[in-house]
Amino acid sequence: MEVNISTAEQILTTDGIPLKVSLKKTERKNKIKAFLLVFPLLLFIIVTFVVPIGDMLLRSVDDSQINEVYGKTFEEYKKWDKEKDKLPPEAVYKALFNDIAYGDKIKIGRSITRMNYSKSGWKSLIKKTRREIKKIVKSEEFPTSYKDWLIEINEDWADPTFWYSMSQMLNESTSIYYWNAIDRTFDQDANIVMQPEERRMYVRTWIKTFKVSVYVTFFCLVLGFPVAHLLANLPLRYSNLLMIFVLLPFWTSLLVRTTAWIVMLQQNGVINGVLVWLGILSDEGRIQMVYNQTGTIIAMTQILLPFMVLPLYSVMKVIPKSHMRAAQNLGAKPANAFRRVYLPQTVPGMSAGGLLVFVLAIGYFITPELVGGKDGQLIGHWIAYHLKTTLNWGLCSALGGILLGIMLVLYWLYNKIVGIDNIKLG
Amino acid sequence: MSKLLKAFLFATFVAFPFAANSVTVASWGGAYTESQIKAYVDTYSDPSAVQFENYNGGLGEIRAQVESGSVIWDVVDVLPDEAITGCDEGLFEDISGLYDTFTPAPDGTSMIDDMANSGVTNLSDCCAPQIFWTYVVFYDPDAFSGEKPSKIADFFDTAKFPGKRGVHTWANGFIQMALVADGVAPNAVYIVLKDQSGALDRAFAKMDTIKDDIVHWSAGSKPLELVKSGEVIMSIAYNGRVGAANLSEGENFEYIWEGQLIEQEYICLMTGAPDRDRAIDWMIHASSPTSQAEQAKYITYGPMRASGIDIIKAGEPWFHTGISVMDHMPNTPELLKISVMGDPEWWSDNGSEIDERYAAWMGN
Repeated sequence: MEVNISTAEQILTTDGIPLKVSLKKTERKNKIKAFLLVFPLLLFIIVTFVVPIGDMLLRSVDDSQINEVYGKTFEEYKKWDKEKDKLPPEAVYKALFNDIAYGDKIKIGRSITRMNYSKSGWKSLIKKTRREIKKIVKSEEFPTSYKDWLIEINEDWADPTFWYSMSQMLNESTSIYYWNAIDRTFDQDANIVMQPEERRMYVRTWIKTFKVSVYVTFFCLVLGFPVAHLLANLPLRYSNLLMIFVLLPFWTSLLVRTTAWIVMLQQNGVINGVLVWLGILSDEGRIQMVYNQTGTIIAMTQILLPFMVLPLYSVMKVIPKSHMRAAQNLGAKPANAFRRVYLPQTVPGMSAGGLLVFVLAIGYFITPELVGGKDGQLIGHWIAYHLKTTLNWGLCSALGGILLGIMLVLYWLYNKIVGIDNIKLG
Repeated sequence: MSKLLKAFLFATFVAFPFAANSVTVASWGGAYTESQIKAYVDTYSDPSAVQFENYNGGLGEIRAQVESGSVIWDVVDVLPDEAITGCDEGLFEDISGLYDTFTPAPDGTSMIDDMANSGVTNLSDCCAPQIFWTYVVFYDPDAFSGEKPSKIADFFDTAKFPGKRGVHTWANGFIQMALVADGVAPNAVYIVLKDQSGALDRAFAKMDTIKDDIVHWSAGSKPLELVKSGEVIMSIAYNGRVGAANLSEGENFEYIWEGQLIEQEYICLMTGAPDRDRAIDWMIHASSPTSQAEQAKYITYGPMRASGIDIIKAGEPWFHTGISVMDHMPNTPELLKISVMGDPEWWSDNGSEIDERYAAWMGN
């Protein structure tokens, strides 16, 4: 009886399958279809975004290559009592001799690039030593004391600072690059200490990058808001024309716009020329407006302005004009109506534009490089420098990782304060 | 649909025109690469077999190609410290065993000895010599009514020659000049840097004296604009840029050769180069004394082969427009005496630390 009741309660489709099962089946089919549709994009994002960024983050902590080359040396090194002996014991020197003598040439070559980050001079020290070691291996006349022999061929082997710097390399994963990226390093006992004073520049660069980005975002908002408002409220034929004024620079090459700013702002440039001609400035008193932070902020603001105007415009376009009229009808003064009725409705546009401009500004490279002079070296400059010149991809990745971290924090803050559902790009 | 397909095929064809069978050389572009094409490709036995591609320098892209196993370049034009590091890291192939097959000087001197005659020790086993280029100070003589600067010390003397100075945003070149201006003999600069612990402090102290009068540049064309527009009274620049302005654009800039930093330039063979054998053949051609002298017809960088300079001297007026070029060559025997010869090995040890210190110095 019980069985009968339960079957009676179940609704069946015409071919006798329970409706629940049948529904699930079609639903699953739809899900698979939907998944297949997004699959190409998902794959694309994984291949071009998730994997490279994951690889980058791995590189910022990876130190395995060097451990592969100097495995034996590091093992002996760890037994060295730095309190007791000024220099490492004979066993360390011997292990080092063997690691270099029988190690792969290219692996050693790569390791010395890495070692040089910890202390300048490792590169040539190991290279010169390797040449001498090769001679010994060929002649098979091995020294009785490896320590004495190594110090004899190169007195740097008696310099404890080289040995101390080795303590930064002992583990397969390291946090040294992140510390380097904020002007810190390890001392001989692997404690975190500040870099020597004359080398401290990353913290300052981070602050400078932030400052420029905040300024640019602020000026973009101040300049972009009225433009977007005008665009949204003018009759179509005028606003179309104005829109072209916004878009034309947007479509012009970045380099052309940057160069144009140099022509405008330099000391013998257009603006200074006009001011001198008008008698506002004396010929000697021409203002320095380019090759410094001012120039960077001016040029970047102009270049990034469309990224503020366009999202603002798209939001303002759909705010009904009747809202303002209604507010004024109900007795609000225009300023008050604007502040309490219009402004809150533009928040999604302002925040979208602000986030967009800030994100672009913080990683900006070419414009500051060209118009910034000595102040043009924002964090992007150092990422490129280490990527290309020093091949310090660990530090490079750490700088990139911090940048990514900052973006995530900003996103989180944004979501807390404004709410990510409120963002509107168009 | 067929239109789209055609467009796609066309794009593929344009993007990889000779990918299958030609030597690809990555170089810096601009007037420099033009001169390379005229001197090394047009004179090659099969000009269509070599094509140039531009890159922005540094070993980053090269390491990425070799690490990922998809090498598309055969030969790369690199700075000397990169030639060393790239060879150490195995990014470039060791060709030292083939150096005997490279063209000797007309008098039979081997390539390596011919380089040594210019004061260069070949430091990388993976590369062949190209040119000397220098960081040199220059100015527009019309901007001075009275005495004109003539020594590197004048560059650091704003009391005697008021006005701003153009300096690049990295340390190499400026440091060495500061030491020469402070009284170090040009050929002793690197000895001082290596042996005296306070040498860098000394250089920075000298640089401090003009710190407030510096306009910093980072693109190679900038210093010419800065001097021409009067933004600065004199500037450090790449000598080839100044030479080009003088010889091809009718400018009348003067050099302060004293204390110039002579740097080298190499062409290196990529590890896993797709067209390896022909690439080596072309490298032999491009590093021969006659080819190197030929390049000086189009740009005023000096041949690294000492015998190349002799060919130019004998053939004056050498520039392709029929002007003599020796006055603009940075590495004549007379100039070598008052110039600093770069030590790429020392720089590849210490360069990044100095660059960081320099950046901190600029920002202060």
